Amino acid sequence: MKFIASFGLLLITITACDYKPKNQGKSLYLKHCQSCHMENGQGLGQLFPPVSNADYVNIHSDELACIIRYGLEGEITVNGVTYNEAMSGNRQLSDIEIANLTYYILKELNDIEKPYSIAEIRLQLDRCK
Amino acid sequence: MGRRFWRSGISAFGVLLFIQACSNQTAKELPVLGPYKVVDNIVDGRLITDTLFTQIRPFIFYDQDGEEITEKTIEGKVCVVDFFFTSCPTICPKMKQQMLRIYDEFENEPDLVLLSHSIDPKRDSVERLHEFAQKLNVEVSRWHFMTGDRDSIYSMAKHYMIAAQKDDEAPGGFAHSGAFLLVDKNRQIRGIYDGVDPESIDLMMDDIRSILIEKSVLK
Repeated sequence: MKFIASFGLLLITITACDYKPKNQGKSLYLKHCQSCHMENGQGLGQLFPPVSNADYVNIHSDELACIIRYGLEGEITVNGVTYNEAMSGNRQLSDIEIANLTYYILKELNDIEKPYSIAEIRLQLDRCK
Repeated sequence: MGRRFWRSGISAFGVLLFIQACSNQTAKELPVLGPYKVVDNIVDGRLITDTLFTQIRPFIFYDQDGEEITEKTIEGKVCVVDFFFTSCPTICPKMKQQMLRIYDEFENEPDLVLLSHSIDPKRDSVERLHEFAQKLNVEVSRWHFMTGDRDSIYSMAKHYMIAAQKDDEAPGGFAHSGAFLLVDKNRQIRGIYDGVDPESIDLMMDDIRSILIEKSVLK
């Protein structure tokens, strides 16, 4: 009986700790980004630019971490369409959370093969302080 | 003669059945929501009891073209009503995504009008709403983004039974419900839906179809 209980507990622990950058990235995306950029990153009209399959993300991939933390203002062009609504920053996110979120956006939403390591993200964030 | 009579009788019955079956498919009875009054009237010496449902009261707001929008504008139309503000960082974009689904679905339906009220009329000027509507690429005749007197907007929200208030603690400075209301041709509320939930909006679109075929009894 005790054995079964402890085995069960172990199973629960293993599944609960299903920790991958992709998973945390996705839940962070759903919590902090999807209300404007929409659930699959498709954006909305000319109000919110897409963040999936977006040329802007490819070209500015090393600025994503800074944009997530400090926001963005001014006109930008994404996939040939201009956008000019201010995005507010997410200063409550830690470096690691930003790294995981960046990983999700680059890898899962844009098929970019080599997302940045946490060390690289920290360097990028240092540059835009 | 007898046989003929029966034959035509049976076919008439069949036609009736057929009509019944067809109308059953589309007729979905939706309740009238909101406060009501029970009124007793004496008509031809007999007591008649009537239930009077509240109608959405007259209003004056201004849309993204600066045009005056009143209850006359929506006469005989079915309306989808919501409250939002353009700089809202939380639920509004999702509400607008769902509103766009309704807008697209009823593209060829001139009797359906969408009314989005800004609860931040100070920032959401006619110009700002014009820009916003343009960025969603929608036509003013089918979707009015409205601004106006602040107190009138807030009391209108209350009248629609929708929560909206200024709240410095809330992201963006306002707290409000993401509900969509369905208002029929008689200016009566027939449904309340969750404007950020695609499934609730699926249901709303079904209900809109039922409401659209109802006739207006408004004088």
